[in-house]
Formats: sequence, C-alpha cells, structure tokens
Amino acid sequence: MKKLNNSPLLIVMILFISLLILNSCGGVPEEKGETSAAEDNVFSVDEVLEMVSKENDVTRTLYTKAIVGKGMLQGMKFDEDWRKDDVEAGPLPALFLRGVATSIKKGPVPLGLYLGSDFPVNKANKFEGQQAELFKDIKETQEPKFFYDESQELHTAMFADLASAQACVTCHNDHPQTTKTDWKLGDVMGATTWQYPKDSLTYSGAIEVLNAYSKGTVDIYMEYLDEIAAFKSSEKPVIGDKWPSEGNYLPSPEVFLDSVRKLSSYDTMKTLIASK
Amino acid sequence: MGIFKVSALRKRQFFGGLIGILISVGIIVFFSFKESEEYISLGPMNKGHEDLSCVTCHADANGNLMQQVQSNISHLAGMREKSVDFGTQDVTVNNCLECHDRPNDRHPSYRFSEPRFKKAIAKIDATTCITCHTEHNGERVSVASINYCMNCHQDLEVEDDPIDVPHSELIANEQWFTCIQCHDFHGNHKYNVPVKIKDTIPMKTIQAYFDGGKDPYGTDKKYIGLSEPAWIKTLQKK
Repeated sequence: MKKLNNSPLLIVMILFISLLILNSCGGVPEEKGETSAAEDNVFSVDEVLEMVSKENDVTRTLYTKAIVGKGMLQGMKFDEDWRKDDVEAGPLPALFLRGVATSIKKGPVPLGLYLGSDFPVNKANKFEGQQAELFKDIKETQEPKFFYDESQELHTAMFADLASAQACVTCHNDHPQTTKTDWKLGDVMGATTWQYPKDSLTYSGAIEVLNAYSKGTVDIYMEYLDEIAAFKSSEKPVIGDKWPSEGNYLPSPEVFLDSVRKLSSYDTMKTLIASK
Repeated sequence: MGIFKVSALRKRQFFGGLIGILISVGIIVFFSFKESEEYISLGPMNKGHEDLSCVTCHADANGNLMQQVQSNISHLAGMREKSVDFGTQDVTVNNCLECHDRPNDRHPSYRFSEPRFKKAIAKIDATTCITCHTEHNGERVSVASINYCMNCHQDLEVEDDPIDVPHSELIANEQWFTCIQCHDFHGNHKYNVPVKIKDTIPMKTIQAYFDGGKDPYGTDKKYIGLSEPAWIKTLQKK
C-alpha cells in the first residue's frame, strides 16, 4: 500500500481542507474604528486639538474667575494640597486642569493633556527640551505650536495659557515657592500640551475628544463637591443653580457645564459645521 | 482466519494512541482547574496578588483560537490592518489601574508620557507599572536601584525645610537613597515623616519591604487596591 506521505494529491487535499476549516471560522471581528469605510476622516488632528484647547480656555477661565476668584471673596478656600485629609479646600486652577487630564486618561479616548511653564510654582512642571524651545515662541506670539513626537509617535500641540484672571496673577506672585513675582494680567504664564495618536479624525472621533474633555471637567468638579461634602470644620457652600458671586453658593456640575457650553459653543459649532 | 483479527502491532498502536490521548486530555483538564494555576504561573505572585486568578490580568483574547490564527495569517498576508492577541490579551497599565487607580497618586504613570520627561523615561520608564513592579517575582518592588528620584528632582527646594540635614544638602551630596526613607513613591501612606535623619527608616528595612516584607510606613493607607471580588463588582456595574 502506498504510504500517505508519498501521495502529493492527498497532502494537497489535507492542506486544502485544513485551510477551508480554518477559514470557515471567520476572523476576529475588526474593532470599531479599525476600518475607515464607515466614516471619513474630516478633521486634521491639529484642528481638533485647537477646538478642544478653546473649550479648555473657556472652562478654566470660568472656573478661575467665577469659582476661585469670586469664591475666595466669599471665604471659600482653594489649595494646592486640597486632596490632603486635613485640608478643607478646593483645587486651584492648575490642579483643576490636572484633574481633567487624569479623568481623560482613565477613559477610552487616547488624548493627553499637560500643563507646564518656564517659571512654574512646582519645579517638576518646568518645560525641558523641545517644549522649552517651542514655548519661547509661544510666549512671543501667543500662537500654538504643532509637532510630531517621534519617540512616542504622538501628534502634539502646545497652546498658550494666559493669566486670564487677577486670581492667577496674585496667587502665583505671592506663592512662597514662586520663581517669578511680576506676573501681570494677560501674560503667557505657561502652555497646555495636548497629544493624540492619529493624524486625522472622523466627525464622531472629534466629538469623542470634545466629550472626553467635558466629562473630565465634570469629574474633577464633582470630586471638588465630594470634598466639600466631607468638610468637618469649614462652612459648606450651598450647591445648586447659584454662583459664588451671589453668596456662599456653588453651581451644580450641570449648571457649571451648561455655562461652559454656552460660552464655548459658538466657536466649536462653527468649526464642526464649517469643516466639511 | 477471522475477519476481526487484528495484528499485535496494530493493537499496540491503538492502545498507545489511546493512552496518549487520555494523558493529553488529563493534562489539559488538570491545568484548567483554578487550583492548578500556580503550576502555570511564571513564578510566585507579588505581595498582595497571591489570591488573584490568572484571568484578573490575563483576560481571554477576542475570538476563538482558530479565529485568532486566521486573523493573524490575514494580517501577515496584508489583508487585515491589525494583528490580534493570541490566547490572552496583552497586560497593560490599564489592567493595573482597574484596581490601583486613585486620585491622590503622587506619581501617576500617565504624567510621564509628556515630552519633557523624555530624558527621565530613558533612564527609568515610569509610564508603565512593571518597570518597578515586575509580576511573578514574589516581591513588592523590583526596581534595580532605589535612587530613581535623581532623574527628576535635582532642582528640588523645600520651603522651611523641617529636617536636620536639609534636602539641598542631601541632593548636593547625591544621597538619593535617603528620599525613600521618608517618602513612598506613590504617596499612599498616612505617614508622619521624621525630622531627624537618624530617625528615618533604615535602607535595610526599606529593601525588606520591597522584597515583600512588613510595611515600614505603617498600615494606615489612603487607598487600598481592590480585591478580585471587588474588581469583579466594578466590571458588573459597567
């Protein structure tokens, strides 16, 4: 009897059947977003980062002026050590942004957000290398800088972070660890750095980035409200639809986010609609 | 001459094959029990992870093995954009954070993704947990040298420095091993730092802690990592 391994036809048939069985399973379904057939990329990553950066400007200015600035006048406290158990205070604006960044990192959208400066209060936040070089130009022109970080394979953008409220200037000039004491209103105090892995985004991808930022805002604001709920010796502001300018009040997360949307919606909508 | 007569050689082949199949099935069944996981593990689990099942970190990859083989062949042939995980999914920082994420982390891994930490990252990759916490070693911290603070804190200045040997002097003398004698990296302990160097935690005790021993910073922690049942509950909520 002819041995099996001497029959080329049989070997081909076995291979064919094996491939047929293997192929009959179908592959692992491709994840959403892996294929580009469903939706076209209509935004460059630079456009999307610029859009979310504008939302950030509005949010931080609102938080700094209407919550921190007016709140301090009502006797509310804001502290860099606000998370410590023995400190009853809210997050300072820079830490508010850190909180937003942390929330974004926990979510599914691969967006990175950082804050730095050439004269930071905390030396760990001082720009180095390429960021330090680009920041020199940003200080001069207040124009954003875009580059591709090859080591991390991330599209990166830096945007000027301005002293938009007197509270920024006063706190930074008076801080015991400050390295600069002559900040003025309108100065470029630092820059936000944003990172995203893809060079272009679909319409839904852009919305996801904007939503991730909004969610981050709500998350850190709710952490602040949780902190207030745990106050033992400090007076607790009333949470609702009123703002600190009216007394010892704080807006609820919905009211805060609603105000951000009202202030930022025109620019964002314009970019979203005009684009394509 | 009987129709069913089978040669002795065929019999041996049949029973040999049967025994082989039974042994194979037995091995597969044995290793599928939770009690057998320690025999599959690359080494003893790190401190605090002793009770975890493999699946806590090593989740099954999407699809069955046949699908995974087909998808990866398609990827190799250029017919598919991305390859897929085979067997189990890759373990990433996100797996660790599902149990260990906390808002008060002094050095959250994501912060080190910023370009300005490039030089520091080249020396110690703080973007990922396993740089310092390599699993399956039966210890707590696996970093080679405990002087890692030097990579970012060379310019540190402490206002109203409370310790008898000022931080500036410790840094000037490159005594980077002293940092950890007062400050735990993630800042998760409610620990009153001493004001005299002689009262700080000895390095020998720190090393013993890193190796899986007693916690010298005390047991009063701000945050406790999730147990496996608590982690499962968080998944059920999603």
